Amino acid sequence: MEIKVKCNCGVENCSEWAILELQGVVESQPSIANQIRGLEIGRLCCSSSSSQVNYTFTVGYHELSGTKVSLKKPLLVLKKNKQEEGSVSNNEVDLEVIGIIRHKILFKNRPKAIISRPQVKDKKASD
Amino acid sequence: MATNKGDINDGGAESFLTLGPDNSVTVRYHPDFGPHSDLILLEVPDDSVLNDLLRGRVTIRGQFDEDAVLCTPSSTYAMKFVGTSNSVFLIPPRKPNLSDPQPNPLVSVLKLAPGNVELVLTAPRLDKLRFLLMQRLYKIDEEDEEDCSSEGLYTWHDLICSIQASDEELREGLKFLSAVEINGFWRIVHPKSVNMILTMVLTNSVLHDWSLDALVEEEVLSVLESDGFNTTIVKHCLETFGTKNENDNSKLWGLDKKRIAVHFAKQVLGSNGGKMRLEIFIEKWMRNVQKGTPFDLNMLEGEVLYETIGAETWIKAFSVADLPLTPDARFSVLFKERAKWAWKDLEPYVRDLRVPGISSEGLLIKYTRRVQPNADAEPIFSAR
Repeated sequence: MEIKVKCNCGVENCSEWAILELQGVVESQPSIANQIRGLEIGRLCCSSSSSQVNYTFTVGYHELSGTKVSLKKPLLVLKKNKQEEGSVSNNEVDLEVIGIIRHKILFKNRPKAIISRPQVKDKKASD
Repeated sequence: MATNKGDINDGGAESFLTLGPDNSVTVRYHPDFGPHSDLILLEVPDDSVLNDLLRGRVTIRGQFDEDAVLCTPSSTYAMKFVGTSNSVFLIPPRKPNLSDPQPNPLVSVLKLAPGNVELVLTAPRLDKLRFLLMQRLYKIDEEDEEDCSSEGLYTWHDLICSIQASDEELREGLKFLSAVEINGFWRIVHPKSVNMILTMVLTNSVLHDWSLDALVEEEVLSVLESDGFNTTIVKHCLETFGTKNENDNSKLWGLDKKRIAVHFAKQVLGSNGGKMRLEIFIEKWMRNVQKGTPFDLNMLEGEVLYETIGAETWIKAFSVADLPLTPDARFSVLFKERAKWAWKDLEPYVRDLRVPGISSEGLLIKYTRRVQPNADAEPIFSAR
């Protein structure tokens, strides 16, 4: 069989997607189970020091630090479409390029545990 | 807080990536977060493949029981899924929602990607092509026979759906097999028919005093057509045994003496495995080949093997074109034929092997054992 890989965006107009990548697994409280849609994962902050741009991602009590990375080999986002009834081709499925990923923000350092909550920290600073 | 692009978070990939220093944003699970198993990440090895993908020039080919391959117009890639133990959160671009003046500032993650598909440049899988086309060899007078079904016959489109190779590689494969398109089907001509047509061309050359270096295409086709031969097949014969020389307006063909000599050598020996005493072979070969054609056993490199049986030398048909194209199958057949090979005998049977990423030396190291008793001795190759 032959499945054509369609691309309606062309070379110039491919939508850019992005990736946030971290080592490890984000877990939700048992009481939430699978109802995670719409819920916050964490807070992403950006800071710069001398020449470097750094990112901090705070998830629960963990603080991760990372950087933006350009992918040496870009990733394309492909979507598998089920063919409509009565379509010309024999195949049940076709593929479409719907996006490209050229950069990701990668957190690969060991997470730091935040011992005190941010508000407490501020209070301390104002002492 | 300074107002800059980083403040205007619209929840999409762009604002995520352009988050500026001293700015922050909340990352959340998209309202549609889920497995989205219909979304696949494909790693693109280079700009050329990227270009082909973005211009819609790429297809996936293979049967359901085969590993799928991805084909650009000229190359074939194996598809390998590589998993990751990292959490890879996929962030889509924001969908413009004109009715909503207040874009949602939260960055939304649509899916956790389990990994991505990698592309590995691979040799086209063409052994199947020969297998398919050998099912029904084209014979002259085939049209006269009762059986007019198209079973076992393949159009270009049929081949694309069955053979895991790019269009360009498939065309090269067909050329390598000397296949010809007749009535929309790609066929290999039966050796007996090939011989009949070639012999007709050569006989008519003598009859009409044609020069074998400058056969006039129109003349050859019309004479043979009046003898009842299909012009497509006759033209294919000229292509198989000659080279076109487009001079002025008339199309001229020069027949290649070496190709003709090899053809008649194979006729004399019969198909693979046919063997006879060398002197007898030479005598018969000389009789078949045109007068004035210099014949030279070196022309038969990659077509024959020699064996010493007692005090006699025997010659045997063994054509590299009939052997498998994949290295492991090729070496397996070679070592089944002969346990030990001297390099000068082995070389014609391996020189056509091509595997992306491995040199010919690499192939030898991978598939053979090399023994060389001392620097002056010839190396001997055997199975690993």
